[in-house]
Amino acid sequence: MFESLPYHALNGVYYGFILFMIAAGLTIVFGVLGVLNLAHGELYAFGAFVAFSIVGYLTGLVAEPTGPVTALIFGAVVLVGSLAAAAVLLPVGATLEAAFVRPIYDRDDVYQLLLTYALLLILTDVMKFVWGAKPLDVGVYDGLNAIPTTELFGIDYPTYNVVVVAVGLVVFGWLVWFFDRTKTGRIVRATAIDREMATAIGVSTDRIFTLVFAMGAFFAGFGGAMVSIGPGSAYLEMGLSPLVLSFVVIVIGGLGSLRGALVGALLVGVTTQVVTPYYSELELAVPFVLMVVVLLVRPEGLYGTWGEIE
Amino acid sequence: MSRARLSAENLPTSVRVVLVVLGLGVLLAVPDLARVTPLSFATIHKGLLFGLAAVGLNLLLRHTELVSFGHVAFFGTGAYGAAVLATYYEVSSGLVLLAGAVLAATAVALVVGYLVAGHLDIYFALLTLAFNQVLFAFVVQSSFFNSTDGLSVRVGVDRPSLLGLDQLLVSAGLDPVQAYNYVLYYLTVAILVVVVLVTWKLVNSPFGRALDAIGQDRTRARFIGIPVERYVWIAFTISGIYGGIAGGLFALLQLHVRPEPVLFAFVSGEILFMAILGGVGTLVGPIVGGVILVYLLDLARFYVTYYHALTGIVLLAVVYFLPEGILGSLPALGAAIERRRRDPGLVRNDVETVVTSVRRSVRRAVTTVRILVFGVN
Repeated sequence: MFESLPYHALNGVYYGFILFMIAAGLTIVFGVLGVLNLAHGELYAFGAFVAFSIVGYLTGLVAEPTGPVTALIFGAVVLVGSLAAAAVLLPVGATLEAAFVRPIYDRDDVYQLLLTYALLLILTDVMKFVWGAKPLDVGVYDGLNAIPTTELFGIDYPTYNVVVVAVGLVVFGWLVWFFDRTKTGRIVRATAIDREMATAIGVSTDRIFTLVFAMGAFFAGFGGAMVSIGPGSAYLEMGLSPLVLSFVVIVIGGLGSLRGALVGALLVGVTTQVVTPYYSELELAVPFVLMVVVLLVRPEGLYGTWGEIE
Repeated sequence: MSRARLSAENLPTSVRVVLVVLGLGVLLAVPDLARVTPLSFATIHKGLLFGLAAVGLNLLLRHTELVSFGHVAFFGTGAYGAAVLATYYEVSSGLVLLAGAVLAATAVALVVGYLVAGHLDIYFALLTLAFNQVLFAFVVQSSFFNSTDGLSVRVGVDRPSLLGLDQLLVSAGLDPVQAYNYVLYYLTVAILVVVVLVTWKLVNSPFGRALDAIGQDRTRARFIGIPVERYVWIAFTISGIYGGIAGGLFALLQLHVRPEPVLFAFVSGEILFMAILGGVGTLVGPIVGGVILVYLLDLARFYVTYYHALTGIVLLAVVYFLPEGILGSLPALGAAIERRRRDPGLVRNDVETVVTSVRRSVRRAVTTVRILVFGVN
């Protein structure tokens, strides 16, 4: 089982959902604000560190799981902790947008890149100041895997991965519902399509932008929290490669498209995980080759809709 | 951007000549300056090389208004070109290594440029980034390039020879390492001067004007008969060659090439930010930006624990207060200081402006939070 193709594909799906949570934030921020946020990876790392603190504290309050029921409680506590960690990112994102990003919307793209790069550097050191330079592992992975899920069907697959996939699906569903069915979501989309028109009918674009940036930070942080509670640990440089990979994802999917981000993330996740065991030298190149092919053949991405969240 | 260009060109010729002579003098005096001050010679040298790559990038950024986020690809190709020649073909002549670097970078720039010339804006940036990362991934995982350990640029244990000039200095009683570094530094300065002159000629030629036209409006440029894609392709290749030269010299300086410092995508970002830091609208601004940013990234860590934040704050300051970059803002800055020296009352106005704007933004932030939390103000 462990060496077979379906197993690698499953790992790819798990990896794809992690990527999706990061890329979703990046793509809505880009779609609405038109800013490619280089600090997004650091927000993801920030979420991982906050999750280390909060989940660590909360799981310290409950006992280690012994049976299926206690395991379920343990899992619920971990999930609530992750959500709380991501919620910390809401005010952080809102402050960053209001204080730093807002003054430069009408400047050249390069200045926005430079600004978010500066924020990336500063955020790195803020994390170093608070949590130190060593990798931190909250150590709840085994506790999570004590929850029986796949074992019920006679398959041996880590529960943690199943949880991440489920959470990713919920995030996708919530985002689609938010942008499609809620009033706020529709206002955000209207703002993305035409800023001036939205202002003319009484929408405060400033507030919408703050909200969207905070949402982007929230999902990045949630992605980070999901990684932090897994077998990996939180470390300072963890934001770099997911950031670059989520560029790939949102370009493949089409900039500003949610469905595109999901399809792109799963595509990148599954292809890397499936190709790597057989041709390990291709591991790093696969996503970029995918991206180059998509950009050259279909420059607007698979679901390309400029400036419109879908 | 255009305002800075005008202000630089408005300087009287005599002032410009003085500035050029001054700049050259400082460049030539760096080894001596480094001996008597705590400045690091090697870091300044490295900064100049990245600055050279940034001059190439600025050619695209300033004139065709294309943001390349993968420029270190050519820097790295140049460095690896030299390293491969030294490691596998035992070439020991520094100039041949440099030629190899330029050839390799030209080849890669031609291919990449052909594929990206038709793209614009964010797509151009992300495509160049993608090619950069493909190259990085290829090098990191290929045993020919010795993966992450990288290649040496020595033949055996010897440093490459630099036209025998370093031997000359050694026979004059200088330490071999020092002699090599000095000769390499002056070679760098000579190349830098030539490159800046070539760029100056280039941007003031009909070709440079055509690039300006392409940057302003591609459709219009096409109407008046400019072969847009081909010109962008040529400009891209030229800027890649600059990167290749810089990379080759970098390989000669470090004598060992590893993938992360010369090929990773974030270094591309750094090159881009060097150009903005120094001044996009100026010719030599990127070199200044290169020295400053490399200095900050490399050496600040020995003085401050939170050196990333220090660099970040410098970049923030550039974004908010010096949008034309350090060199580009000098004329305006000088004029402002001169005005305040003549009329100190203006300073109070400045303070008032800052205080009111801070107060206003705090009030707005409070309102926004109230509305977001409670739904009403």
